[in-house]
Amino acid sequence: MYAAAFSYHRAASLQEAVKLLQDLGDDARIIAGGQSLIPLMKMRMTRPAALIDINFIPGLSEIQNSKGELRFGALARHADIEDSSVASAIPIVHDCATGIADVQVRNQGTIGGSLAEADPSGDWGTALLALDTTVVCFGPGGRHTVPFEAFIKDAYTTVLAHDEIVTAVHVKMPPKGSGGAHLAFKRSAPVYPTVSASVQLTLEDHNTCKDVRVILGCVGLTAIRAKEAEAAVRGKSLSEKNIQAASEAARAAAEPQSDMRGSAEYKRALVATLVKRAIAIAARRARGEHAEAGHEYVGR
Amino acid sequence: MASKSVAKKLKRKTSRGPSANGAQAAPAKWVGQPIRRKEENRLVSGRGIFVDDEKMPGMLHIKFVRSSYPHAKIARLDVSQAEKFPGVVCTLTGAEIKKQVQPFIEIGPGGAQKIADYPMAVGKVVFQGEPVAAVVAETRLAAEDAAELVEVDYEPLQPVVTAENALKDESLLHPAMGTNRNWHGVFTYGDVEKAMKQAAHAVHIGRLHFHRFSSTPLECNVIIATWDPRSGDIEYHCNNTFPSFASQFLSPALGVRIDQIHMKSFDIGGGFGIKITSYPYMAVCALASRKARGRAVKWVETRIEHMQASAHGNERTFLDTRVALDKNGVVLAIDSKHVDDCGAFPRYEPLGCVIWAQVLPATYRVKNIRIDMHQVVTNKCPVGPNRGYSRMQHLWFMERILDICGQTLGIPADEMRLRNYIRKNEMPYKTPNGCVYDSGDYANMLSTAKKLIGWDDWKKKQAAARKEGRWIGLGIGSTLDSGTNNFGQARIINPDAPFSGQSKVGIVKLDIYGEVVVSMGSVPQGQGHETTAAQVVADALSITPDLVNVRPGFDTAHNAYTGHTGTYASQFAVTGLTAIHGAAMKLRKELSRLAAWKLQAKEKDLEFGVGAQGPEVRVSGTQKSINYWALANLVNVNNAGMPESLWDITLNCRHVFHANFQIPDVKRKYGNLTLTYAAQIHTAVVEVDRETFQPKILAYACVDDCGKAVNPRIVEGQVHGAAAHGIGAALLEDCAYDSDGNLLTATFSDYTPITAVNMPELLYAHTESPSPFTLNGAKGMGEGGAAPVHTICSALQDALYPTGVIIDDSHNTGDSLFRAVQKAETGGYAGMVQVEHRRPSR
Repeated sequence: MYAAAFSYHRAASLQEAVKLLQDLGDDARIIAGGQSLIPLMKMRMTRPAALIDINFIPGLSEIQNSKGELRFGALARHADIEDSSVASAIPIVHDCATGIADVQVRNQGTIGGSLAEADPSGDWGTALLALDTTVVCFGPGGRHTVPFEAFIKDAYTTVLAHDEIVTAVHVKMPPKGSGGAHLAFKRSAPVYPTVSASVQLTLEDHNTCKDVRVILGCVGLTAIRAKEAEAAVRGKSLSEKNIQAASEAARAAAEPQSDMRGSAEYKRALVATLVKRAIAIAARRARGEHAEAGHEYVGR
Repeated sequence: MASKSVAKKLKRKTSRGPSANGAQAAPAKWVGQPIRRKEENRLVSGRGIFVDDEKMPGMLHIKFVRSSYPHAKIARLDVSQAEKFPGVVCTLTGAEIKKQVQPFIEIGPGGAQKIADYPMAVGKVVFQGEPVAAVVAETRLAAEDAAELVEVDYEPLQPVVTAENALKDESLLHPAMGTNRNWHGVFTYGDVEKAMKQAAHAVHIGRLHFHRFSSTPLECNVIIATWDPRSGDIEYHCNNTFPSFASQFLSPALGVRIDQIHMKSFDIGGGFGIKITSYPYMAVCALASRKARGRAVKWVETRIEHMQASAHGNERTFLDTRVALDKNGVVLAIDSKHVDDCGAFPRYEPLGCVIWAQVLPATYRVKNIRIDMHQVVTNKCPVGPNRGYSRMQHLWFMERILDICGQTLGIPADEMRLRNYIRKNEMPYKTPNGCVYDSGDYANMLSTAKKLIGWDDWKKKQAAARKEGRWIGLGIGSTLDSGTNNFGQARIINPDAPFSGQSKVGIVKLDIYGEVVVSMGSVPQGQGHETTAAQVVADALSITPDLVNVRPGFDTAHNAYTGHTGTYASQFAVTGLTAIHGAAMKLRKELSRLAAWKLQAKEKDLEFGVGAQGPEVRVSGTQKSINYWALANLVNVNNAGMPESLWDITLNCRHVFHANFQIPDVKRKYGNLTLTYAAQIHTAVVEVDRETFQPKILAYACVDDCGKAVNPRIVEGQVHGAAAHGIGAALLEDCAYDSDGNLLTATFSDYTPITAVNMPELLYAHTESPSPFTLNGAKGMGEGGAAPVHTICSALQDALYPTGVIIDDSHNTGDSLFRAVQKAETGGYAGMVQVEHRRPSR
């Protein structure tokens, strides 16, 4: 399996990368970790005429806790985030990083690349929507930021212009009393989840949900924010009945398609269950309890 | 049915090399030891030699253009643009090679002989991924680029996707055959109807289905072919795992003498059977080399090609099953119609239509059996032998019967099996179709497997969990790994099939400087043959395994083959090692004669061992000895003065193992089809999550009995591998086609082969029932009979019994269980199992 011929360009700076994008035209693509792009090229499902490698641009891999934000350089590898004590300040981020594909992909794949790829099944696209996330981009006009809610427009489509690049991802630290969980069902290690769900909620008085976000992954053209599910618990107690209502609302909000991962109807059932479980885990974490969350696999 | 005389007869006649006086080996010292594998260091330090590592001078690369349609007429095929592409040397099309080759041999009788199986599609395509053209170029990249320029117009034909539809013959894959049913035969033993009348319970079971899955060896098929225009010889570097079979297909197809086909394999990254049918690609690579005037042509199969168009395992549908049981749940008779689906071409097939009969009654005493066996062709990838080949489908069917009948009659799974198992004291046991189960104690294995998993504890936990509404099930899978097959069973398929029996070759020599060198007549793919061969030779010569140099891989030039040579059908521990043992004993005898002359001693006074100067022969109770260097020296480079009586000594000893098989009675479909029966009994506890329907394995235990374990460490490794393969098949892996014949699982993202994160911890125990028919009492093993598929289905059935679900498919996922429970809730399983009680059951 060989990709169709392409030219390779190594950018030394963001400015150079942008210039290369402009010079090389629409058939040029940025390569970061390459974990989606290279397999697609080898299958010849995509045929960029040129690749612009940004891996050698300095300063794009840092993971920092700064000014109430976790700041991830676009080239931060999933495995670096998984292992980062800084990143573990937001448990949902750790949940997400730990279960992305397999070890090889996590060692190579990047958070920026994952967001720019905008795969509807991508874990980051789901988990980061549950938080206040800002995408930092660089283009001909310099640096600018885009709220993550506005970043992904459609499946495999972002607001980035051809000559713009993701340089960092900033995630606001959730307030005290907030907890989150990212859950996903996967068949085996290297594949995308069948369904994923992220919940971040803030409690007051131990069991009243002051604020919440419920995000569904793999069940639409983009990650879906299930606002009806949020409404079912926001400002209310996290009673079994209210959680059940949120779970049912999430089931209704999902727009899954049948494929080898499962039938649409089954995926809806998974959505309902994952949301219910994610709310429960998020609530326990919000209360400061330890609770495991992450990816679950067939068989074990 | 116990037959001591059968045991005696087979024991006496199965060849195991000479047992000459003075040349007797000492008792086993190395056989039975869990020594580390000799090949390990080489393989883990990157010194393995795989075909893709090989580069030949001037080597070209081939890329196949494959059909995107499962069934279509090729209306137009134009390679002219591809031929003009820079770096392209030549192309090949089906129409072109039709003029150069004969269609491959068909094993099946009658209409099946009219199937024209060419190595590339001629006129029409019959499965998605079938090669229609090939491009040969200086680089792989050029070949891939140029392949995109080949233009093919197809006129789609109606695809035949399911076995049941194939039987309707509405659309024919091979019109010359006149039907899609390429084989049919009725296997009938005992008196089924009489038993049905006497039964206390008659159970009718609707459609059961064993799904299509495959193996996912790390290394796909790889071939380098060189058709030398000077000699006319074809040299293959390849990873085909049954080279003797492949050359018997290639020789008539390509029109070369069989001795002109030179095959070499070194290390192979897994095979599991499905590399046996790589010969069509071997044919194309040779033709490409010839067209390129003898330059080597390499093909490295991609994973997508492998998933689409190498080989899948057999899919089988079981229809209208009737089971007669006595009042205690003992199965008296089974009557069923089986339809095997072999995909587009019967390549190793229809041998699978008889190979299941090696385990006709499974582990059970049932005597009256009637199986109406059909095989059909469909527009899917051709099947090839896949670990557990053809027996696992039947064993799964038998285990489903035991579980479904047991639950219907209210008899627990373990009790049901104990009442039906063949007893230890009945061994060797003659099955209704004349097979002889050599040894085994299934009841003891079950008891071990239950203890290992904590069965009684889990029963209590299950009862408590059920009260909470949880779905926890305990399952048992009893399975057989029949090994060392009698090719005579092919006569049951086709009375004119010119093969029978089983044989393997081993060569053990002392080279000029006295090194012990073994050439194997096997094609190891990870089974540790170098190690076990060295253990056997070390014992035979009273030396140590590190002093035995085992040549890895297969090479025609070693001349260590017969027409049966390959690694398949769980047999190396019996056939390969016995051949090697026989050769080593011949060498020992030669060394003994030589040493007796040189040391002026009597052979009976000689001892073999390792001295200060390496392996030697010495005169017992004296200082007199001669080492292997000196002995080899005498024969090879220093032989003046040797008496004529020793001139027959070559120190290059070849031994052929023969199993004592007869040609089966073709009319009655009766005879001994396999020499040994390793057994696996697994237990599992599986929970189906009530909300996600995900099956979770809470505990898993494997008990293996392959007689004497030559190397317990290797045996345990094989059991782990087979268990993983089976768990993958049960829960993850499925070669799924849509109703139009498109393969939905051509990548690992969709096929999802099992990974470490899916594996439960395996509890393991080995019981040892030595085979009375083999050297050392060892039995072939490694295929494992897909025990986890049976076991997990059994556990799922138990878990979901309260819902009314009947586990009727061998592949179960969260999604399929979700739909099964829905089906049960709407009464969808009504009528699936019907039971008629004639007398009150106890």
